[in-house]
Amino acid sequence: MKSFLLIFSGVLVLAVFSQAVAKDWSEIEKQANGQTVYFNAWGGSQTINEYIQWAARQVQKKHNVRVIHVKATDISDVVSRILVEKAADKKTNGSVDLMWINGENFKAMKENKLLYGPFSQKLPYYQLVDIENKKTLLYDFTTPVDNMESPWGMAQLVFSYDSKQVKKHPKNMLDLLAFARENPGRFTYPSIPGFHGTTFIKQVLHELIHDPEVLNQPVIQSDFEKNTQPLWDFLDALHPFLWRKAKVFPTSASQMVSLLNDNEIFISFSFNPNSVSNAIKNGELPNTIRTYIHTNGTIGNAHFVGIPFNSSARQGAMVFANFLLSPEAQARKADPTIWGDPTVLDTQKLVGRDKDLFDAVPKGIATLTPKELGQGLPEPHVSWVQALEKKWLETYSK
Amino acid sequence: MSGQAKGRIFPVVVISLFCITILAGLFGTLLPSLNYLPVIGYTRISLSAWFDFFSYPGIQTSIFVTLFSGITASFGVVCLAFLFISFSYGNALWKFFEKILAPVLSIPHAAFAIGFGFLIAPSGWLMRMVSPVLTGFTRPPDWIILNDPAGLSLTIALVIKEFPFLIMVTMGALGQLDIKKTLLVGRALGYSKEQIWLKILIPRLYPHLRLSVFAVIAYSLSVVDMAIILGPSSPSSLSVLILKWFNDPDMSFKLLAAAGSLFLFFMVVVSILCACLMERAVLVFLRPWITNGKRCSFVSPLKSIIFFMGCGTLFFTAVSSVILVIWSLTWQWRFPDFLPATWTLKLWAKGLMSSFDPVMTTLFTGLASAFIGLLLAIGCLEHEVAAGKTRTRNYTGYIHYFLYLPLLVPQITFMAGIQFLLVIMNMDGYWISLMVSHLLFVLPYMFIALSATYIAFDERVTDQAMLLKRSYIKVLFRVKLPMLIKPILFSFAIGFSVSVAQYIPTMLVGAGRFSTITTEVVSIASGSDRRAIAVYALIQQCLPMMMYAFAIIFPKILYYNRKGMQV
Repeated sequence: MKSFLLIFSGVLVLAVFSQAVAKDWSEIEKQANGQTVYFNAWGGSQTINEYIQWAARQVQKKHNVRVIHVKATDISDVVSRILVEKAADKKTNGSVDLMWINGENFKAMKENKLLYGPFSQKLPYYQLVDIENKKTLLYDFTTPVDNMESPWGMAQLVFSYDSKQVKKHPKNMLDLLAFARENPGRFTYPSIPGFHGTTFIKQVLHELIHDPEVLNQPVIQSDFEKNTQPLWDFLDALHPFLWRKAKVFPTSASQMVSLLNDNEIFISFSFNPNSVSNAIKNGELPNTIRTYIHTNGTIGNAHFVGIPFNSSARQGAMVFANFLLSPEAQARKADPTIWGDPTVLDTQKLVGRDKDLFDAVPKGIATLTPKELGQGLPEPHVSWVQALEKKWLETYSK
Repeated sequence: MSGQAKGRIFPVVVISLFCITILAGLFGTLLPSLNYLPVIGYTRISLSAWFDFFSYPGIQTSIFVTLFSGITASFGVVCLAFLFISFSYGNALWKFFEKILAPVLSIPHAAFAIGFGFLIAPSGWLMRMVSPVLTGFTRPPDWIILNDPAGLSLTIALVIKEFPFLIMVTMGALGQLDIKKTLLVGRALGYSKEQIWLKILIPRLYPHLRLSVFAVIAYSLSVVDMAIILGPSSPSSLSVLILKWFNDPDMSFKLLAAAGSLFLFFMVVVSILCACLMERAVLVFLRPWITNGKRCSFVSPLKSIIFFMGCGTLFFTAVSSVILVIWSLTWQWRFPDFLPATWTLKLWAKGLMSSFDPVMTTLFTGLASAFIGLLLAIGCLEHEVAAGKTRTRNYTGYIHYFLYLPLLVPQITFMAGIQFLLVIMNMDGYWISLMVSHLLFVLPYMFIALSATYIAFDERVTDQAMLLKRSYIKVLFRVKLPMLIKPILFSFAIGFSVSVAQYIPTMLVGAGRFSTITTEVVSIASGSDRRAIAVYALIQQCLPMMMYAFAIIFPKILYYNRKGMQV
């Protein structure tokens, strides 16, 4: 009886709660009606731009919310602009209503109080998000998300190689070093500081450090040298065999794609397990490129959308963020022929039409299965980035 | 003459616009460089940002590379331009240059850099032309050509891109001198053509060019887009490093960026002062050579080299554009294929569709800023002419000092400060602010392009017209301006193309509300799809080219039956 009562009251609370959410939400939708949302997001990929255009058309149709994609070259430009607005005490009518963000930029925005506040829990589709298994949805590069950004997609470091040139791909960093020795000049990584280059050295560190557990903690300066020595030894050994003997580094991960296509390098990497499949479909890469990850896993993280503190269209922004979480939008995004960005939803929770949507998503020609990809290694504590970048610059940038 | 008396409003407006914005911008950068940026918690004035700047890993190399590439490029391009004029003035090559100059100038720096990069890279088009037949390479060789640590490829690209600019400015200034007579007299005295140029004409021409030369120096030192594509990467040149700091997620880097950009400004100022010293030195040391009376010339052997280099700049510019056209039609293209394996029009279809709105914004902003720029430029020049006639105070004379400020102060140094002020005044994100920010860069170039011809206009014509019809306005609009239609349209086209190319002002002032074709190009260029980049770069290139074509063709149609206007 007691337990029955407990369950009953639990159900009641849940029902009242979800009704309250629904009521709140319909209020938000009402206010969103007719708003214009300036969605600031990286605009370097036509594939992604087209997806955003599609999503914008949907919310226009369904909710009468107008979404304008402001194409940023680098989202930190946008963070800077919001910072300027804050400095100028511009509390409303900010230039940005929603932005694509994660990692260090999120941390910077959170620390400088540039975000609107917790909102993702209000989004109805947030209930489908797989927060149980995908820890990076709660800790963005170890910074607690606290509902201040809403999940959009998953990412994981994935290596790509030209199967025509490389018969057997490396399985760990030492293999990669051996590959570089045998094929001088056919591997490189983007310059540091920069997201992709830094991720690569984080991956190296993860694989070579004696105790990976320390990476979850803030950097302790006194132990930094000792802990990271295997990384610098590795890079010292690797650099003479890199592309251009490590005298030149590619400026970005984008340039790595061109280098792979030009046969300048044979092994590259990206942060989207489907990007190679998508690039093959687009003609950007030949169909001999395949992907792999290292045996002990690779670093994974997530990306989000956040609302700045001074947005005057935050209801519209929430409606759009909610739509981006819908099974319809997430399944389309996961399709490698469209974008191929892995979903943040728990597909096990889906039923009926929503489930069919995901079942219909084709597997990309060069995409690994979710099982092959595994869980993804956690990002090191965010303080490691600056320490690693500083040391790298001191050692290799002269 | 009341119209002329009121004319001083033009220079006064222009001078205050330029002074206020740039000083305000500099101030907005000075404070953070002194550790003052309250919004992220820095309120104690100190020099720590400067210490951080000078102790940043690799900063010495970075500064050195910037100085090396900037100064070598400026010095190289000035020498090349002067020698080229001396050797080729009046010959067929020169006439060809006159015709081809406009389209060459209209190619945006970034588009050229992308094309040039793809041309000379080890996996680039030149290598593909000869591989594997001649070289045996089935894979691109691992050579450092692009992004070389010394910045050589950047230097060469800068020379190629600045050369036509200097030639254009020179062509404009030639009207100030009586070239034909000087050459005739010189030849009669037994000097060779090159000697007359180098000993007499160039020294007299130089004062008209000096500000443009300074602008070249400033540009070469602070260039960002070309440096990202072609410059060294670790460490990169100073301007690129500053941009990285500005964009670093760690906000405290903003202080470092502010200090760095002021230091860049300092480098520009010092370099220009050095250039002034060099002018003096040349004056002192070359005077004996100029007046030694010797008729033999040591420069003649250089002739073929200079021709070769002059044509080389054209060749590289042209081929860089061709390569963009090919990439824009590519589906798949791998090394060492000479041409793409599969072609497509898909990228064009996509690009044209999604670039319609940005193109419209670009057109309106460009037309508006060039039009206002034209009004201001003509107003100022009219005032100068009038002041000359009546020997009253010439306010436009001061303009020369201020007008070039936006070209001399690195954009990145003062635009961030301006953005801050606009946000405070709630004026960011408006089209009008965007247009005025473009005007800052449009007007100087228009002024450079127009002033020489405008001042050289034979005022006897207007005086005559005034005698017949005593209305200053009517004479101006019905006689003088129609007669000057060619240079006016040409400077309009230049102003328009400068507006089209603006990236940093559009981003900072437009608050993301306005996307122009250039912001689209830059954002798509941050991705990996060279085919899409090529499509956007070509669309971007088309706009100024159309305007130049209009500037060339329209006067021809308008005056098809006026023989005197055909020249």
